[in-house]
Amino acid sequence: MTRLHAEGLTLGYDDQAIVTNLDVQVLDGKITMIVGANACGKSTLLRGLARLLKPRHGAVYLDGKALTEMSTHEVAKVLGLLPQTPLAPDGITVADLVARGRYPHQGWFRRWTERDDDAVTRALDATGTADLVNRPLRQLSGGQRQRVWVAMALAQDTDLLLLDEPTTYLDINHQVELLRLLRKLNAESGKTIVVVLHDLNLACRFSDHVIAMAEGAIVAEGAPTEVVTAELVEKVFGLACVVVPDPVAGTPMVVPT
Amino acid sequence: MKTTTTVAPQVATAGAFRATRRRRTSRSLVVTCSLAVAVCALFVLTMMVGSFQLSAGEVIASVLQLREDPSVDFVVRGLRLPTAASALAVGLALGAAGTIFQQLLRNPLASPDFVGINSGAGLAAITGIVLLQVSGVAVSALALAGAVAAALLMYVLAWRDGVAGYRFILIGIGATLFFDGLIGYMLTRAQLSDARQAMHWLTGSVGQADASELRLLLGALLLLLPTAVLLQRQLRALELGDDTARALGIRTELSRAGLLATAVVLTALAVAVAGPIVFVALVAGPIANRLLGPATGGIIPAALVGAALLLTADLIAVHLLPTALPTGVVTGAVGAPYLLWLLATTNRQGAGG
Amino acid sequence: MSSSNNLARRASALGPGLAVLCVLLALVAFLSVTLGSRSIGLPEVLRALGNLDTDGSINSTVTLELRVPRTLLGILVGAALGVAGAILQGVTRNPLADAGIMGINSGAAVFVVFAVTVLGVRGAGVYVWFAFAGAIAALVLVYAIASLGREGATPIKLALAGVAVTAGLASVTTGIVMTNVETLNELRFWQVGSLAGRYAPVLTGVAPFLIVGLIASLGFGRALNGLALGEDMARGLGQQVTRTRAAAFGVVAVLAGAATAACGPIVFVGLVVPHVARFICGPDYRWILPYSMFLSPIVLLLADVLGRVVVVPDELQVGVVLGVLGAPAFVGIVRYGRLSEV
Repeated sequence: MTRLHAEGLTLGYDDQAIVTNLDVQVLDGKITMIVGANACGKSTLLRGLARLLKPRHGAVYLDGKALTEMSTHEVAKVLGLLPQTPLAPDGITVADLVARGRYPHQGWFRRWTERDDDAVTRALDATGTADLVNRPLRQLSGGQRQRVWVAMALAQDTDLLLLDEPTTYLDINHQVELLRLLRKLNAESGKTIVVVLHDLNLACRFSDHVIAMAEGAIVAEGAPTEVVTAELVEKVFGLACVVVPDPVAGTPMVVPT
Repeated sequence: MKTTTTVAPQVATAGAFRATRRRRTSRSLVVTCSLAVAVCALFVLTMMVGSFQLSAGEVIASVLQLREDPSVDFVVRGLRLPTAASALAVGLALGAAGTIFQQLLRNPLASPDFVGINSGAGLAAITGIVLLQVSGVAVSALALAGAVAAALLMYVLAWRDGVAGYRFILIGIGATLFFDGLIGYMLTRAQLSDARQAMHWLTGSVGQADASELRLLLGALLLLLPTAVLLQRQLRALELGDDTARALGIRTELSRAGLLATAVVLTALAVAVAGPIVFVALVAGPIANRLLGPATGGIIPAALVGAALLLTADLIAVHLLPTALPTGVVTGAVGAPYLLWLLATTNRQGAGG
Repeated sequence: MSSSNNLARRASALGPGLAVLCVLLALVAFLSVTLGSRSIGLPEVLRALGNLDTDGSINSTVTLELRVPRTLLGILVGAALGVAGAILQGVTRNPLADAGIMGINSGAAVFVVFAVTVLGVRGAGVYVWFAFAGAIAALVLVYAIASLGREGATPIKLALAGVAVTAGLASVTTGIVMTNVETLNELRFWQVGSLAGRYAPVLTGVAPFLIVGLIASLGFGRALNGLALGEDMARGLGQQVTRTRAAAFGVVAVLAGAATAACGPIVFVGLVVPHVARFICGPDYRWILPYSMFLSPIVLLLADVLGRVVVVPDELQVGVVLGVLGAPAFVGIVRYGRLSEV
């Protein structure tokens, strides 16, 4: 059993079930990427894992306990999440925003401490946003802004970190930069990272483990080199293609035919 | 090489971040203290001026009961202290409630003046004045009940798997239009003298406070302001959106309900004491942010700004204008241009509303 | 494929639908002429209408001099408010844009108060003109303020400016009213938005503006469809966004200004009816505008008739009836969320 896993998980909105009866193991200390066509339920699954959605059936377990039975405060110390479109108050500065990631480590009366200072500093350093601390978030470029959000999630100082499409709206350079950052965080601190990603090639290149979803079910999972084949891409995305090794990293690369 | 490059910037980062924090903490301390001093000064000043001029020393001595002087005591404690204290308390309550609403609903327009609470209180109070012919404490009690009922109604109507901020605002605007329509109807049903009394109440005036209501508001402030400050941490997380807030370990609906309840009770009591005074709740938060730096959202500074605004407005309404007018006339006439200036100078994005 | 078929079917049904609305409006107008605190029999109404001349009896006088002008005014004002609301929502791309929210009522009120106190003007027929001027002044002021700054008149700035102007003007109004009881008396009746008591002189005064404005408004359908895709897209499609907006605001100012001047602030019609029209016609403003134009007077006249019938022999002002009926409709729209689709 891994630290974060789901059994018989069914999730949905209103009357509609999006994801049905899934068993998922999130590998400890690895980077897992969830891929699939639009509306296949990958973001829903991530929201379920992060307890933003209550399961209809089944449960998500963190360290052996069902998430629904743990206090939100307890969970937040172990499990962090960066939503797809996070909101920020008008005019907020980078320092203020990143500092708000320390929420779960403070209590009703215990306010800011040295440890909070250290955690924020580490997060700023890891994301290369230290020289932005006094800037308003609004003035930053898309790539900088996304790194600041990652810094906020890092300041939360959790062992597990879930990210919902963190590369949307970024250009290719910033996409790669962000994914490299996640790899670095994983390598340096052994953080378990789960990412929902659109780009299959980037997912193959930067993940240890991919979960391919279609119509609310898991079609295949495993190491990218083992799982990602032309048949799978055809099945998941409906795209005819060949899969060749990436000339640089040797990971699978999808080329449409 | 790697180790040296990671160590060196870390020290620098730590320094930069700590310096930023320290600067902000000291700035907010200085601003809050200056505001507190300004509010105290205004508080004393409103009790000095009038047809019977007093010195600051006399006022302070009389309020703190340091000296016995029956004539001064009569003017200060008997006549001026209730009004000044009500301006102070109502201002504090409105400032705090306004900034909580604006941050919680993520919209600079969403002050309790505009999302139905004041109108609910107004309708209840006007109904009392016009149909039931009541006055004094009964009107205040009705206003209090009306405000709380309106807030509950809006909360229930906006509830759909939780209360989204925009839905609450829209329902609030609808409720305002609805209540205002009925208030208009009540006014046409009224005797002219009742209508005048009702209009006066609707404009809001700190001078109409009753001692028992005032005591209630002051007691509530002692309880609710600390509550608001304790809940400020939750508020800061909720500002980042429900998903992020939940990821940070907030029980979003519970925190939101608690914050809304705090702000609603503050507003309702303020309205019960002084009638629906516009604009104080709307501009107190933005002014505090101007002083403290963007998006700082301090509840205490906003409350102090509210108190300063209302004390000033009362001074102008009672002493500077040729005929004494309700305080609400002044807050509206002064608040509107300020908001326009705010609009013209901040390059507001389409975001937030 | 099937969706385009649906669209075609919908479009072909919209024309006859409009005809149905015409018939409905005629029916409601007939109701409005016949029903009231003084019940007048059908034959009498027909006789009065047939002669088009009072024969001296009270009933025919009531019909011709009160009920008919009142009904005509209701039709025109209703149409104006509905169309103005639809155009405002389209231009600002703001589902809650409404002349009332943009400060129009407070502008009109302050001018009426000014006319009554300072100039000593009396009588609905005269202060219509002041209300008209005040409404237009407020709209122009709000729009000008919201246009300050680089990104122009965004929905939130329009709303904020509207609220600010409203509050500022309301203070001025109250300031005057509190010192002058007689003005308060004039104002409070104007403010609830009643159709009662101001017919013929008001009708002849504002009708030309309303009719010209209504005709002009029908030309905006295509431009609004373009703006609905966003400003950049509209520019890309070759529209002159700034000029279109200014023209649309001009028409709205005339329509809403004249309507408010004639009947006082009437809420919810301009806000809710365009949503109903959009629900029926889909997002095409070439249909939304005429549908709003026919739906609104039906709603307004029904509310007016209801107000006359419910509390006989008194009557409820139409603004009050609409407030009571409109609020649940508004809540429904918000809760079941078709709001985002403007």
